[in-house]
Amino acid sequence: MSRKLDLSRRAMLGGTAAVAGGLAFGDLAHAQTKSGQLTVGVAAALMTLDPADANDTLSQSAARLMLEGLLTFDKNMQVVPLLAETYEANAQATEFTFHLRQGIKFQDGTPFDAEAVKINFERIANPANHLKRLSLLAMLDHVDVVDQYTARCVLKFPFGAFIPTVAHPSLQLLSPAALKKWGKQIGRHPVGTGPFVFDSWQPDTLKVKKNPDYWQKGMPHLETVTLRSDPEDGARIALLRSGEAQMITPIPPQQAVVIEHDPKLALINDPSIVVRYIAMDVMKKPFNDPRVRQALNHAVNKQLFAKVVYNGFADPLLSAEPPHITFYEQQQAYDYNPDKAKQLLAAAGYAKGFDSVMWGFNNTVAITAMQFLQQQFAMVGVKLKVEPLEGGVMASRIWNVKKPDESHLEMYYGGWSSSTGDADWALRPLFATASFPPSLYNVGYYSSKAVDAALKSGLETADPAKRGAAYATAQKQIWDDAAWVFLGVERILDARDKNLEDAYRLPDGGLMIDAAKYA
Amino acid sequence: MIAFLARRALGILPVLVCVSLFSFGFVRMLPGDPARLLAGPDATLQEVRAVRISLGLNKPLWQQYLTYIRQTLVGKLGTSARTGQPVAKVIGERFMPTFWLTVAAMAWSTVIGVALGVLAGVRRGQWQDQTSMVLAVSGISFPAFWLGLLLIDLFSVRLHWLPTGGEEGWRSFILPSFTLGVAVAAVMARFTRSAFVEVAGEDYVRTARMKGVLERRVIWKHTFRNALIPVITMAGLQFGFLLGGSIVIETVFAWPGLGRLLVDSVNYRDYPVIQAEILLFSLEFVLINLLVDVLYAVVNPEIRLQ
Repeated sequence: MSRKLDLSRRAMLGGTAAVAGGLAFGDLAHAQTKSGQLTVGVAAALMTLDPADANDTLSQSAARLMLEGLLTFDKNMQVVPLLAETYEANAQATEFTFHLRQGIKFQDGTPFDAEAVKINFERIANPANHLKRLSLLAMLDHVDVVDQYTARCVLKFPFGAFIPTVAHPSLQLLSPAALKKWGKQIGRHPVGTGPFVFDSWQPDTLKVKKNPDYWQKGMPHLETVTLRSDPEDGARIALLRSGEAQMITPIPPQQAVVIEHDPKLALINDPSIVVRYIAMDVMKKPFNDPRVRQALNHAVNKQLFAKVVYNGFADPLLSAEPPHITFYEQQQAYDYNPDKAKQLLAAAGYAKGFDSVMWGFNNTVAITAMQFLQQQFAMVGVKLKVEPLEGGVMASRIWNVKKPDESHLEMYYGGWSSSTGDADWALRPLFATASFPPSLYNVGYYSSKAVDAALKSGLETADPAKRGAAYATAQKQIWDDAAWVFLGVERILDARDKNLEDAYRLPDGGLMIDAAKYA
Repeated sequence: MIAFLARRALGILPVLVCVSLFSFGFVRMLPGDPARLLAGPDATLQEVRAVRISLGLNKPLWQQYLTYIRQTLVGKLGTSARTGQPVAKVIGERFMPTFWLTVAAMAWSTVIGVALGVLAGVRRGQWQDQTSMVLAVSGISFPAFWLGLLLIDLFSVRLHWLPTGGEEGWRSFILPSFTLGVAVAAVMARFTRSAFVEVAGEDYVRTARMKGVLERRVIWKHTFRNALIPVITMAGLQFGFLLGGSIVIETVFAWPGLGRLLVDSVNYRDYPVIQAEILLFSLEFVLINLLVDVLYAVVNPEIRLQ
């Protein structure tokens, strides 16, 4: 599309400049780029400002402007304390105690204390509330208020990944008084402890303004922040280039060059935790033979994959989870080797290759990826039919399937981002036997006793060393079994005004602009 | 006239009942489980179930239909599954931006389109005709998507005169209403021209000319007035289509209107919002048809409203 814009520019400029010269409206950009104001152009539409009822990254990011959690993530997805000062766990990973920061008030004046933690966490964990993030705290039995500033979470069963779970943006805290006042409408009236206060939410535009009583002195630097939905990629880039926005997210990999060539703009190019892979139904022929799955791993040139599909903005995927997830263990790469792939296929009895069908989403990038894979597989004799599916169709054909033998899936071009940043949620939903659809997302019906045992033991302790050992075992086994064709890890691609600092996205895609400022 | 309007107004009711039934059934025929889509890409089965219950999708269909009708009758139209807001509010917020954009686009495009059409009809075969029709064909064939981006690039990115999108102040109307109206103006011009040419060949026009009626009078009184009937029909249809919200224009210009709402709602299978939008579009069309019938009678007193 950038080429289209360039052509149009050349065609238009000569002819229309004179005509347009008559309409003098003044310069909008200068009027809008006042320091202290930040407008961010986003692709998606905001759904709610109640993070416990939000499953999309944008809604959670928007809530992050106004709300805070006990813990949060730093730029590298490491858990750091926020409203809690310290925390500790018991040896069985069934009790987690948080010592809270004192003297903080919610924006409506309600004091922040252990009671507020109890009300918020138990609201999410209560199935009667039907909140979309219920499962994050499904293991929570109750919260004890030990004293005013000490809250103890008591779990129903051991859950070693509880600490990263508490850092999840969906567990950010709302004012108990506001929860009581607004009930189900809290998503339109968020009140937290954060650096910004809710101002307005018109269709597609959220405005927040500085919280003058924010507990971190000297913060925030900005007076107002506006999030504006602009779904079209080209129009969103225009929003930034015209100066109406100072940051846009995301930008398509093919448009990165437009940003790089603009002296007033900067490209944000950071690692993400979005993995790209092919899942295969390993219960079915031919994918039940590990040699076939290994062959397919050798048949794809991953460097070329990154180049063709992501314009170079992707990293290799060298394990079942990406590097910015906890307990990552790099594995020995399946090198690109079509001859080896053919030998493995022949050994498995498919010397002439086979025919298969690949399903994936119907967006441009996914279709490009599937077409690329089609060509790569054709070189080793695997004839692929590509079927892009609409989201709803995908849901009914893959995720809502009741039993393995009712699944018609052969190959699936998929993606996953572990929203807790933890190895458990990066592996268990995709590889555990208990995660077959419809309960979770093991759509290839991969099942390994060793992996199941490792995933289980990873949750039975909060001790990082023991957890690390468990997830190392799981990753090695999944890799050696070639449960997926491991393709790549996406990169975060955004663009900003050169003068804007400390505005970025986390590897999980969450927008972090609460500390943003102008140079 | 009043009796006519009353009768027609009553006739709207059965239409809306049929539409409500069809839209209710139709959205449920779409593949895809709304609970699964709304629960998100990494939801557990427990969460999907929670969403299904909170949306009332676990109830039998007839109960869901009755709930829907009851909520429609009290004007709430249900609750948006995606945002949890009352549907009437969601649609209300988005209707006015689409309505004003439609009015702005229709206003300029009808005037320009009809003027070009008449000019082409009067000067048939001459350069005015050819120029107008070249403009009209270009207007129809220009992809709105491309034209929109091109205008944004020139007037927003390069010249900084107009905002790239969003609905804030009168300036924000200029680019989208222009882009939206281009195709309408082109259609109106083509339509006016052919209606004009057809009427110009009628006996009464020749008679008028032979009587020595002034040419200006022949054009405006005898030809134009009679040629207006199909033009009004077309304008009504266009108005109805545009009121549904243009998905392309609203996407390119980040316009908070009904078209984008429909896309978002279909993506998430937000049944109550889709149903309400279909009902609204049907109501709009029925009302516009009524208005067109009334206009017929105004333009041509020989047409009686019955």
